[in-house]
Amino acid sequence: MDIGQLVGAVQIPRLELFLPELTVLITAFLLFTLELVLSSPLKRVVLPSLSAIGYILALMSVGVTIQFHGDTFYGTFTNDYLGILVKVFELVIALTVLAFSQRYFQSKGSFYGEFYYILAFTLLGTMILASSYNLIIIYVSLELVSIGFYILTALLRGSFISKEGAFKYLILGGLSIALASYGAVFMYIYSGSIDLREILTYSGGDYHYLILGLVLFLIGFAIKIGAVPFHFWLPDAYQGAPTPVTAFMASVGKLAFFIPVVRIMPLIEDKFALAWMLTVGVIAAVTMLYGNFVALVQRDIKRLLAYSSIAHSGYILAGVAVTKVIGLKAVIYFLVVYAVMSAGSFFVVAMLERDENWNNEIREFSGLRFSMPYLAFAFLVYMFALLGVPPTVGFVGKTLVFMALSFDKLWWLAFVMILSTAVSTGYYVRLVVLMYMKDKEKEVSVPEKSYAELASLLFLTLMTVVLAVAPGIVWQLLSPAAEILFAR
Amino acid sequence: MDIVRTDFPFISLSLALPAISALLVVFLQERFARAVSVVGAGATFLLSLLVVYLFDYSRTSAVQFYEEYTILDELNIKLSLGLDGLSLLMYLLTALVSLVAIVWSVKDRQVSFRLKEYFVAFLLTESFLIGVFASYDVLVFYVFYELTLIPMLFAIGVWGYKLRLYSAYKFFIYIFVSSLFLLLGIASVAVVHYKNTGSFSFSYFDLLKNSYTPGLEIFLFLLFFIAFAVKTPLVPFHTWLPDAHGEAPTAGSVVLAAMLLKMGTYALLRFNLGLFPDATVKLMPFMVAIGIITIIYASWMTIVQNNIKRFVAYSSVSHMGFVVTAMFLLTQEGLRASVIEMFAHGMTSASLFMIAGFIYNRLHTFNMSSLRGSVKFMPMFAVIVAMTSFASMGLPGGSSFWGKFLTILAAKEYSYALALLVLVGAFFSAAYILFMLKTLFLDVREESILIHFTDIRGFKLASFIMLMVPIFLIGFFPHLFFNMFEGSIGFILKNLLGLE
Repeated sequence: MDIGQLVGAVQIPRLELFLPELTVLITAFLLFTLELVLSSPLKRVVLPSLSAIGYILALMSVGVTIQFHGDTFYGTFTNDYLGILVKVFELVIALTVLAFSQRYFQSKGSFYGEFYYILAFTLLGTMILASSYNLIIIYVSLELVSIGFYILTALLRGSFISKEGAFKYLILGGLSIALASYGAVFMYIYSGSIDLREILTYSGGDYHYLILGLVLFLIGFAIKIGAVPFHFWLPDAYQGAPTPVTAFMASVGKLAFFIPVVRIMPLIEDKFALAWMLTVGVIAAVTMLYGNFVALVQRDIKRLLAYSSIAHSGYILAGVAVTKVIGLKAVIYFLVVYAVMSAGSFFVVAMLERDENWNNEIREFSGLRFSMPYLAFAFLVYMFALLGVPPTVGFVGKTLVFMALSFDKLWWLAFVMILSTAVSTGYYVRLVVLMYMKDKEKEVSVPEKSYAELASLLFLTLMTVVLAVAPGIVWQLLSPAAEILFAR
Repeated sequence: MDIVRTDFPFISLSLALPAISALLVVFLQERFARAVSVVGAGATFLLSLLVVYLFDYSRTSAVQFYEEYTILDELNIKLSLGLDGLSLLMYLLTALVSLVAIVWSVKDRQVSFRLKEYFVAFLLTESFLIGVFASYDVLVFYVFYELTLIPMLFAIGVWGYKLRLYSAYKFFIYIFVSSLFLLLGIASVAVVHYKNTGSFSFSYFDLLKNSYTPGLEIFLFLLFFIAFAVKTPLVPFHTWLPDAHGEAPTAGSVVLAAMLLKMGTYALLRFNLGLFPDATVKLMPFMVAIGIITIIYASWMTIVQNNIKRFVAYSSVSHMGFVVTAMFLLTQEGLRASVIEMFAHGMTSASLFMIAGFIYNRLHTFNMSSLRGSVKFMPMFAVIVAMTSFASMGLPGGSSFWGKFLTILAAKEYSYALALLVLVGAFFSAAYILFMLKTLFLDVREESILIHFTDIRGFKLASFIMLMVPIFLIGFFPHLFFNMFEGSIGFILKNLLGLE
């Protein structure tokens, strides 16, 4: 190969596709540097505001990238509607996480400068994960996200459960990444390519390697999204992590970890469709049943929401089982709106935790309506949304999943979903009943709420209803995203 | 089904009026809550009277006052509101009974705390119920159908009697879980529409044209049926009802019995009979059997109740049995009987629950044996009790007469044995009503506290009178009501029996 050929092969990267990631990357490095050089009181002001500015700029540049589509960096980075939609939700929720974290860490009596740049790097990882078909890029961004989460989970250094959760997460997360990368190796052996699109449309070669590789790869992701029986880290990590971080993991984290699965799903060939449907369907059924049954007996609100998160992984996986356009649409819709619902519900808990006497126990919600009417109402909306009562996003999500299931005549899975939703009524409605129909057990008061928090909570609560009543807002990105993914 | 579009959005206005009043109640001071609610519900009722007046009775099968707002283009979800004759009757019932419930609550002692929330709950229920009866989009129908659950959960759980939390849970879980089957069914009919034509649709008019394989049709029929059977309720899905109705505050029971149960029967008629004609014809004997079992079982259960509210609750179940039996006989007479009985039962059951609530205010017990002779020294109230009871029993001149009489006529067409069974049911319903009358009127009570009771007056009297007028109107001028929905049931029947 002479030098001319080599120079000719060098592409100029289309940075306009990469603009949001670039913005977050620069923000992250700036935050990292400033955290080292600034004095402590200055940091408390500069770091959050700089992060917020960076994320808002990134959000605006997502708006710019809508006009450009295609691959860059030698096909390792793909900008399409799916990526754009997911990035919008990730950035918006990251902004709300910022709003809630400052007062939260203040109430814990400490300030963590590293929180801001680790959050930025994790966010960067989730954004790249959302827009790549390349196995190596997926691996690298997966590591970036996971390492960020391990550190963020263990941020409360003094707390035992925080460390325990982080350690469990580290062990199982490491296992998941090992499995995923091992799976990637088999897929490379099968096709000689590291691009998922090429691997899954490749014909010829021994397809046992493909199956082995795909199964290992997906098990890796099943651990990350908390599908039963790979869920053991999830409740502990969610409980141990500082609550704004939990909100971030449950919403942005879950969204990002699901995206590679969503990208694989339309590429499954018809001859594997039945096997895919059965495997994913059984995992979905087990996940939703287990999550909901175990959530019934929880006493800690964060663990309860963690198990509800597992159950929701099950509902979303039920949509993944249907390899049709409607299934994909259901999955994408449910994913982005679940991010909104779960973030909102954890933020309510994060605010309540600032009360000194609050222990996160469920019975402490008794009569919350009398001491904190607006917060209780927001939580009521989230509970009904998670349960799937109209007119909330959870309802539309479940309707779409039902449509997908009946499209493929997966009646058994639909009935399992009905059963598990029935079980979930037990704990969601219990919280509503406790807040609104029981007498007050103790006075709860949250000191000095900031406007940023209240605005974020109002925004998320409104979104929980608005995205259901006017689904067109999401749908104009979601529908082309799904159609394009299916147009092989 | 024809569609007549409207120039003026009557239906969305009558949806919005109670909702706006509810918003006002939230933002105004508590002392205005009662006045604003009464005015809001009253205005809605007047609007409904206007709509009834403007309705074109020469074509009752057409959907009139039709409005359409797109929610999601791709899946063809629209907020499509309109009224055909059947919906019109239910809409009138909703506006009337909601007003009655709110007027009753003005002076109800059970409602002495969290007033704002109370009236907001009832106003929102009214708005949602109008949505249920006026929606011609199946998914939007489902949204309203589910939404009525939330205010009722609060009404039972917050202002109810002793076992209120248990009953609230039970009510919510029963209805919510059963309606998940309905949601699956709705999702499936939209998918069937996609497979038939290539586009999803939730519009009732589009779904009428769906064609199914026989097995799938029966399956979907059953998915819909489970939800509506729990809501109606039919034996053996009725066990939530005595608890919910028994523990709810009086106005809550009124709304539950008079309108929420009608959602079940209305939806059976509109969706099960309308969308799955072949399955309906095939499953008809089973459905009639369930109806008959409901009538007789619930009547027996009524007779042995010791709590007057549970007594009225079980009597509601038995009446719903009549409605369903008549409906599934699939004849003109049967459908007529079924629809008129829906409306009539709305009046009488509301009135009976208010009687129970009134007596509770005086005696502070629902226990039948402590109520002996309790109406003796309240002549006006006694007259109301007597009129309601005889109307509910099915005496000619009262509202339930036409329902029961036409049911027996329709059953006779099918077989004499069936007519005999319906007659037995009617006999039992007369028996339990007479039993109640005997307890309230004739049994001697030693204590003389009864003399100190003041008779009914004011707001409570007004709410009873609002119910008495339609009770006798149905009894003496049934054709006024039959004319309303003659065309609608004709359309459903034609669709059923394939007489296009």
